[in-house]
Amino acid sequence: MVNQADILRRTMLQAAAAAGFATLAGPAAAADPIKIGIPVALTGPLGGVGAQMRRACEFWAKEVNAKGGLLGRPVELVIEDTAGNPATTVRTVQEMVERDGIRVITAIVASNEALATVPKLAEWDTIFVSGDNGDGRLTAESLVPNFFRANVSGPMGTRAVALWLRDSPMKNFYGLGMDYAWGHNSMDVFAAEAKRAGKNFMGAVFSPTGTKDFSTYITKIRQSGAEGVYLVLAGDDNNAFLAQAKQYRLGDKVQMLTEQVDQMSINATGDSAIGLIGSSRYPFSLDNPVNKAFVAAWQAEYGRPPDLFEGDQYQSCKVLQAGIEKAGSIEAAKLRTALEGLAVTSVKGPIVMRACDHQAEQPGFIVKVVKREGMEHPVPEVIASYPADRVTPPCNKMVYDD
Amino acid sequence: MDLLPFLLTQCLNALSQAALLFFLGVGLTLIFGIMRIVNFAHGTFYMLGAFIGYSSARVTGSFWAGLVIGPLIAGAIGAAFEMGLLRRLYRRDASAFLMVTFGLTLVLGEIIRLIWGVDALQLEVPEVFSGIVFLFDEPFPTYRLFLAGAGVVVAVGIWQFLERTRLGLLIRATSQNAEMVHALGVDVNLVRTAIFGIGCGLAALGGVLAAPLVTASLGMAGNAIIDAFVIVIIGGMGSFLGSLLAAVLVAFVQVFGTYYFPDFALAAMYMLMLLVLVIRPGGLLGKEA
Repeated sequence: MVNQADILRRTMLQAAAAAGFATLAGPAAAADPIKIGIPVALTGPLGGVGAQMRRACEFWAKEVNAKGGLLGRPVELVIEDTAGNPATTVRTVQEMVERDGIRVITAIVASNEALATVPKLAEWDTIFVSGDNGDGRLTAESLVPNFFRANVSGPMGTRAVALWLRDSPMKNFYGLGMDYAWGHNSMDVFAAEAKRAGKNFMGAVFSPTGTKDFSTYITKIRQSGAEGVYLVLAGDDNNAFLAQAKQYRLGDKVQMLTEQVDQMSINATGDSAIGLIGSSRYPFSLDNPVNKAFVAAWQAEYGRPPDLFEGDQYQSCKVLQAGIEKAGSIEAAKLRTALEGLAVTSVKGPIVMRACDHQAEQPGFIVKVVKREGMEHPVPEVIASYPADRVTPPCNKMVYDD
Repeated sequence: MDLLPFLLTQCLNALSQAALLFFLGVGLTLIFGIMRIVNFAHGTFYMLGAFIGYSSARVTGSFWAGLVIGPLIAGAIGAAFEMGLLRRLYRRDASAFLMVTFGLTLVLGEIIRLIWGVDALQLEVPEVFSGIVFLFDEPFPTYRLFLAGAGVVVAVGIWQFLERTRLGLLIRATSQNAEMVHALGVDVNLVRTAIFGIGCGLAALGGVLAAPLVTASLGMAGNAIIDAFVIVIIGGMGSFLGSLLAAVLVAFVQVFGTYYFPDFALAAMYMLMLLVLVIRPGGLLGKEA
């Protein structure tokens, strides 16, 4: 004879087990990860920058997940190497969208990759929040509704230098740039800004990409008699110039200025970079509570302060995070509305993602490279900062009215 | 700047550059002259020298240790490569060497990237040569004077080595008639291994010495191999003295060309090469025309 009590007990156990499963299954369904696409250049000449951006994304994802995720769901990064090639980038994002169902991307390194990607965003129904792309056109003639730029653009960097120039006591300037589009372009902008600031631009010389011996250029700069020299050099050329300029004690006579000061080239050239003045997208020494907490956490994780691309990409991740939280979804239409006009207290202080051209309004910084006690390498120290309304260009523009 | 200090500064600049170009070119030309191999990996050994030099200097705290260890290890790798791979290809035509040494540039380049990462690395100028001297009130780095001096010392050293030592004699003999040398009971393979190792070691020496000027970076190899080929072509394939002469010529043309015609900075070296090839198709001191 079947024991009634036994049956009852079994049924109850089954019910309990089912309930248990239900409680387990409930959150599991809700905890579907939020996937974020990271089509980043990890190899090729931009690999160093890409590595920084990936690190910042990973740091952010870890931080978010440690606090219970985003909208109660864990964040999962889908990282793919684009090698800095625009065609590869477009194909990679296409795969992310189709294979992984990704609807949000960030951390594309190069502007030409970004320019190739943005026309497809509408078709993919995907939001792209830039953390690095500097080309002014992205928020001007090439703007698409699903693109947002949380980082500082190229024109904004040059603008900060120009504003600093106006206050500078130096009168005479000379230029040394790399002999291709970027070098000539930036030099033209600088020459125009120098004239507008009432300074005397004495001319410029351009070195071929891959120049190893800068002795002759150093001689020319010295002979010009200028008080300041504007450098538009990048990568190995920049490192070689700084190392050799120090060996010739060029800095004793001439103030070296540059469009962008980054820690990578400081690390590569050590004391040679000391005294260099330029704009910085993100100087880690910024004095505000959000940044201090970020730098401390970063230092604990990696044993060194964050570099500029790490700080700028992290800011972009935070903007994205705030947007997703406000929208309560990663659906492109909702996220786009949430991002427009979004105000975030970032590592650079309060910033606003303006609705008109999707450029984040933020301050500009001028830094000087100094030696600081207890640091292995020299570090950039902020010597001037300019408010967002003076640094951010008019809506949909790349040039400034004044 | 007055004319005299200007000329002096520029000439010394040129001589220091000539030394670096010579280290790069002489190994390539020796390898070609004796082995008839166009070593496409030469620039990569130059880069390898810079990276090993960087690490050795960091570990030991001395630039000089890096200057010795870098070329030794790079030379040993070069010798091992000759024994392990190139030796099997001597009966093939020249394109086989080109392919294999090109393959080596990819493999070594990737290994360097995996070990040292993508960031450029700084090798400090050694303490004794970190200062400046004044040439009529114009500051000039002593390290560049040291480079020029090192170039002279190494050039004389190689010359004496080739002229006065037994190995030097065998090397010269092998370049003229390898079969005869072999018939006389000399292990020609060993001579070839030695010359390939020495050539790669010389490139690495140049790499270590150049590192304080340009930092150790992954872009070094591609730049260096072109310079090395230009030196060898101008000097004459296989000519030791030719590579010395070519290095000095190229350096002076670059330094003064860049000053007076900055728009032609890149072209100066190639225009010199064209000129030489038109006048002497085999190079300045080349044998075959």
